[in-house]
Amino acid sequence: MKEQSKIPTSKVQRAAKFVKTGAKVGGNYVKHYAKKVVNPSLTKEGLHEDNARDIYNSLSELKGSALKVAQMMSMDKNMLPTAYQDKFSMAQYSAPPLSYPLVVKTFQQYFKESPSAIFDTFSKNAKNAASIGQVHEATQGDKKLAVKIQYPGVADSVKSDLKLVRPFAVRLMNLNEKDLDHYMEEVETKLLEETDYLLEVERSIEISEACSHIENLRFPKYYPQFSAGRVITMDWLDGKVLKEFIQTNPDQETRDKVGQAMWDFYDYQIHSLRQVHADPHPGNFIISDDGVLGVIDFGCVKVIPDEFYDPYFSLIRKDMLTAGPELDNTFKQLQFIYDSDSVEDKAYFSEVIKDMMGLLGQPFHQNEFDFGDDSYFQKIFEMGEVISESKKFRESEKARGARDGLYINRTYFGLYNILNELKARVRTTKPEWAARVAV
Amino acid sequence: MEGTAVKKKPRTKANPAQKIKEAYIDFVLENGSKPVSIFKFVKELKVKEELFYDHFNSFDNVEKEIWSDMFESTIKAISAEEVYNEYSAREKLLAFFYTWIESLKSNRSFILQSIPKRMKPEITPYYLEHVRNGFKEWVADLLLEAKETEEVTTRPIISDRYDDAIWLQFLFILGFWVKDDSKSFEKTDAAIEKSVNLAFDLMGRGPLDAMVDFGKFLFQNR
Repeated sequence: MKEQSKIPTSKVQRAAKFVKTGAKVGGNYVKHYAKKVVNPSLTKEGLHEDNARDIYNSLSELKGSALKVAQMMSMDKNMLPTAYQDKFSMAQYSAPPLSYPLVVKTFQQYFKESPSAIFDTFSKNAKNAASIGQVHEATQGDKKLAVKIQYPGVADSVKSDLKLVRPFAVRLMNLNEKDLDHYMEEVETKLLEETDYLLEVERSIEISEACSHIENLRFPKYYPQFSAGRVITMDWLDGKVLKEFIQTNPDQETRDKVGQAMWDFYDYQIHSLRQVHADPHPGNFIISDDGVLGVIDFGCVKVIPDEFYDPYFSLIRKDMLTAGPELDNTFKQLQFIYDSDSVEDKAYFSEVIKDMMGLLGQPFHQNEFDFGDDSYFQKIFEMGEVISESKKFRESEKARGARDGLYINRTYFGLYNILNELKARVRTTKPEWAARVAV
Repeated sequence: MEGTAVKKKPRTKANPAQKIKEAYIDFVLENGSKPVSIFKFVKELKVKEELFYDHFNSFDNVEKEIWSDMFESTIKAISAEEVYNEYSAREKLLAFFYTWIESLKSNRSFILQSIPKRMKPEITPYYLEHVRNGFKEWVADLLLEAKETEEVTTRPIISDRYDDAIWLQFLFILGFWVKDDSKSFEKTDAAIEKSVNLAFDLMGRGPLDAMVDFGKFLFQNR
């Protein structure tokens, strides 16, 4: 991997980067409309692709939270048209590494020893880029280890980065300012948590122990003695990342096996542990040759509060969607509609959200679901387009949807998305209370 | 890292120079200023005045020695790193600065006393004179090596001044660190990483060389 020669960090430099991108995106629109004059049948696909390329190019040069936001937007297929999505998922793979002396320095700061003194071997170059750090390979005895090191000053830059992304996000995601404030807070706390590697180790150990009984699932072992504020040491997981795994064209049985492990893992976390690995990014899963799913990176864990869990997941029951006043009540609890809304607005939002929840809940309404069914996903994207184009949603004075929903939605979109890429057929197990009434 | 080397060396009677340096640091730390006179200083230290003059001739001289001790211990610490010999020139310079800042850390209070609030990077302060000589020698070796590996290109006139430029960078980083208020000086780390990379990108072959080359060609072939 080529070491990047300079990483723009000061706020001014980063701002300049965003301005440049903004200008380019603006240019793309001009280009698009100019073309459209000549050729009225032109669709927006080309425009989206141009935009995605420019936005991606500039985001990949920024480290830290900007990259994180890019990754996050890449997950929310409902928010972003398909063209953006493909570009953004590359962000994971192309962050530039930092110099080895800085790695040594970081080790000395925390362990008073250099990495070569702690481990038998330690790779000088980074093997992988993580979004806010990089991963080195080390060995100790016959154990192969992965050592993740965070860039200095990331936590400091989270706040200023988010301020920069803000106006950009309004344009890009067609969100209104109100919605954004509502969610930005949630994003900020989560991002700050992600920079705390000690917390991550603690959570990783907790969740991986709690989920150890699930079949075809494995976790790396974590080494707290070699972990610190900006360093995490864990076992190296051999295998392929999702994209590579799919490229090898595995048979349906293996696909189903991996998909099922993925489903079981999330099902157990959400409904039993009530805290979830909220970063189902394809780069965070490593699949071994015999089809066992490995999970890494517990930086982003969302704890699900009861007052959100109860109303939100009651919506996966099919009968719930036809229940009149009870449904209204649930929507109010989830802040989809408000008492102060006009009758007309109430009806509109309820209708759209009912459709959406019905669609997203579909896998729960059956015993087995084929995530390879592209027509289902096409319907979801169309739904997303409808919502993002909807005047009512954009001009709504109030944020629609509880903030706890942000990461839960992201988790489900990520999960569905991965299962779709896997083309897996999954037995969709449900929590007991839902199984009793559903189907 | 041998960052604490200067301050924590065991006090031995056999090395009066060391003892004087330590006493000087203590004095500055406790009184917030230089001792008034050598006479008063040695009296408190309970050594003879001749002994002081055997090793130093002024307080300025003591300060110079204290700084150059920190420099020596930095060089020793990086050379002791196993991987040091495998480093490229760029990485060697990075390693030097990280280690240097680390060894300064243990003497920060003293350094803040002796460095004036506003440091002018273009003027080398008197107490860094010894360090400058040592550093320039070290950089000269580094550049020689870098030219061999073609990390740094030889250019007429300017390439002889590279060592001066790197010395300015040295003063810049020192000044940055003095003013840095971030947690465990993370911003200084970033400043080092970026400025060293910039320096080597400028000294390495770049588009400017190609431009000059092309310009020369046009000039000669018109």
